Amino acid sequence: MLALLRLLGIGFVVLTVIYAALSLWSRRVRRRKLEAEWDEAQGPGGRAAFVEAGLAEYDQSLRRKLILGVYVVPLCLIGLIVYLTNFH
Amino acid sequence: MRYVKWSIIVLFWALVAAFLHYTLPQHDIARISDTYEKRIDPGENSLFWSNAATGETLNVTGRDVFFIQTRLNDDDVMVYRNEDTGWGWPPYFKFDTANLQAEAADLRSTAAAPQWVVIRHYGWRNEFLSVYPNVVSLRPVDGPDVRIIPWLNIILLTLLVAVVWALYVRWRRFRQARIDPVLDDMGDNLDEAGGRLKGFFRRKG
Repeated sequence: MLALLRLLGIGFVVLTVIYAALSLWSRRVRRRKLEAEWDEAQGPGGRAAFVEAGLAEYDQSLRRKLILGVYVVPLCLIGLIVYLTNFH
Repeated sequence: MRYVKWSIIVLFWALVAAFLHYTLPQHDIARISDTYEKRIDPGENSLFWSNAATGETLNVTGRDVFFIQTRLNDDDVMVYRNEDTGWGWPPYFKFDTANLQAEAADLRSTAAAPQWVVIRHYGWRNEFLSVYPNVVSLRPVDGPDVRIIPWLNIILLTLLVAVVWALYVRWRRFRQARIDPVLDDMGDNLDEAGGRLKGFFRRKG
């Protein structure tokens, strides 16, 4: 059982680092796109308010929740490998 | 200096290649001649023995390990070990060692009436270190000449190259944008400082 806990522990730490890096990067990309969009159209409203509203929308979006796949995909992969190796 | 640099680079890539060659699965086509079980006390070669915590205690020096004796389709003999990898490295998550040994024993055959099997394994055979590759799975096949396409290795190596390339490109871009200008700046400052210093000495002399 200890070996499983160790795998999950190390995996959680590594994946959390990846999750944090991806989240920050994705938000920055979103911010840049919003700023470019506003610069092109010069509106609507103020630049900072436009960007903030866009980011608030992003925070609710499915795209952001998809980053949780960083945790989900490896877990599914482990399950699949366990099944294929031992029970197939 | 150039030889040192290239030695380090070559050594690094040789280590990466060896690691992948040891860890990734490979397929052999073989005929199982017998199976046996032997007590093993891993010593200097303990790196090449799996020490999976799958329920049993780890506080023992030796344990019994399953082996599978085969003759490959190129007529060489090959002996595999059959060990759990458990939740450890490499991540095959193999727990069915005893079942696999039962399958292997069931597929034994003689040279006169061969039953060929595909043996999926990882690891190396080394006689000097008493190291054996570890069987991951077995399946019977019709003949010794079946064609096996290593899809998993193709996909994994492609993904690995893609990830390394993506990181490398980003790092290079980051260096060009952020670090090189700073270094150039420092170089300019040094040049200027050197000029001033030279002027200083010239004035003195």
